[in-house]
Amino acid sequence: MMDLRLPSGLFFTVIGLILVGMGVFAPETRAALTDANVNLYSGLAMLAFGVFLLVMAKLGSGKAGGGKA
Amino acid sequence: MQLAPVDYLILIVYFAFVLGIGWMLRKRMSSSSDFLMAGRSVPVWITSLAFIAANLGAQELIGMSASGAKYGIMTAHFYWIGAIPAILFVGIFMMPFYYGSKARSVPEYLKMRFDEKTRTYNAVSFAVMTIFSSGISMFALGELLHLALGWDFNVSVLASAAIVMAYTFLGGLTSAIYNEVLQFLLIVAGFSPLAILAVAKAGGWQGMASRLQPVMTHAWAYAGSTKDNPMGVEVFGIVAGLGFVLSFGYWCTNFLVVQRAMAARSMSDARRTPLIGAFPKMFIPFIVIVPGIAAVALAKMGAGYSLPLADKGGPDYNQVITTLMAKFYPAGLLGVGLTGLMASFMSGMAGNVTAFNQVWTYDIYQSHIRKNAPDRHYLNVGRVTTIVGVLLSIGAAYVAHYYDNIMDLLQLVFGFVNAPLFATFLLGMFWKRTTGHGAFWGLVTGTVVASFTWCLTVAEGKGGILGNLHEFPSAMAQSWWIAMLAFTGCLLVTLMVSMATRPKAQKELEGLVYGLTKMPDTSGDVWYERPWPLAIGAVAILIVLNFWLF
Repeated sequence: MMDLRLPSGLFFTVIGLILVGMGVFAPETRAALTDANVNLYSGLAMLAFGVFLLVMAKLGSGKAGGGKA
Repeated sequence: MQLAPVDYLILIVYFAFVLGIGWMLRKRMSSSSDFLMAGRSVPVWITSLAFIAANLGAQELIGMSASGAKYGIMTAHFYWIGAIPAILFVGIFMMPFYYGSKARSVPEYLKMRFDEKTRTYNAVSFAVMTIFSSGISMFALGELLHLALGWDFNVSVLASAAIVMAYTFLGGLTSAIYNEVLQFLLIVAGFSPLAILAVAKAGGWQGMASRLQPVMTHAWAYAGSTKDNPMGVEVFGIVAGLGFVLSFGYWCTNFLVVQRAMAARSMSDARRTPLIGAFPKMFIPFIVIVPGIAAVALAKMGAGYSLPLADKGGPDYNQVITTLMAKFYPAGLLGVGLTGLMASFMSGMAGNVTAFNQVWTYDIYQSHIRKNAPDRHYLNVGRVTTIVGVLLSIGAAYVAHYYDNIMDLLQLVFGFVNAPLFATFLLGMFWKRTTGHGAFWGLVTGTVVASFTWCLTVAEGKGGILGNLHEFPSAMAQSWWIAMLAFTGCLLVTLMVSMATRPKAQKELEGLVYGLTKMPDTSGDVWYERPWPLAIGAVAILIVLNFWLF
């Protein structure tokens, strides 16, 4: 069985990078009622989560969650 | 709401992943069991998240934020009094029968426990219900995208349906389950920033409470009488109607969610699927209901947000979530939020389509139309049914146009199908004297009672086709009472007919009925792998949450 942590980790890494990119290169992007650079913060959170899943997939391949990846 | 190129990019990345997962799983689909039941080989953390994600459709996101704005935090009863106790019950008491009986579906369990006619009755009503549920979800999303982005209703419905069709067609239940987990994570990632931003802008929980009527921020304090709260319900209705009949009916007998647990690798995993799922489930109100409440507070502050208006005048609560996104999400995060909305829709629809698929193929096609075909044949039937199921749901989406509050309709549908079914299961699993005739006629009575109650009572101008014996304060109260009456009707008739008919021999009921089944021994497992400690942990957190928002 495919290890789902791999594709979902990859997905959140990509989305996180896109948002962080927005946050860094267009830091003034705001919606009507936001005051902070929310792209940067939420992007960092998603990036961290994505990397976490990838690390878990790497560590656990063949074990518990992974099945026969 | 205006989308930037980066928002489209995020949407495209997501679609690529969803289809990619289906594509990678396609080679594993060599038998009907692989395709329809995921070969009973999915890891427990995945089945747990899929268990709650299958239920987290677009109508839940939109409907719950709408109810949050309309009724306040009392909406959380759908989770804390409704879903969680029922989820714990299914994991501890019912899963040993479902998983242990080797039944492939809920209707098939009914066939083993009772008889063919009970199974067929359930299979057919379930099939109709799944099609409607997924149609409602589709309609909700299509309308929302049309209102928020100006996208064409038909195009957005057909395009997202096509993607769901593609990945379920390729990878069957496994693909649906895997994607549900990705969707669940994305929904959380896409909507928790909205809850945080909206609540912070409204001055935190205290700030919100100071601007709103106290009933909006208290879960129980105003539940003493139907007149004190806008939901028009009181403690008895909440506990008996929503908490007991509706939620147990839904979570314990609805094959859509039970199917996820049945795909687990072992009995222990199957029992823990709902129990582990309960933990994230009880925090979902904070990302789906709280933004709705915050929206009302924000509108009162005059800080630049106002509630969306319906054409007929008055607020259109179904648009609360998208209008908040438009005000709080800049280009980039907006793409994530929007993708989360689409994901919730797909998650709900794929859940329904795969459950419909299995029930149709095994419980209707294999048992009535063509009995002894080679397995290859049923695999193909399953694949074709995926396409038919999606097409039927699209039809149902257009039917759903008639109703304005989506949640109310859903509750109504559950009242017709699930509430009486729960009475059947309670009796069937815990009283060995229950007979097939009893179960069948009980179910029929439950459905008839539900229909007549709806036709004879009125709430918010709905129902009452045959007359008006009673007027309910809200459509929600009406549907809860329909469910309770249907449950009671089914219970009584099943009891009476069972007493008058001959029960099955005890030997045939082994593994199917409490008392004649050896419950799985878990004393050798670590504590966090045992069902009871998990359930007690969940209840403890639940009690804290209820007191906190009393």
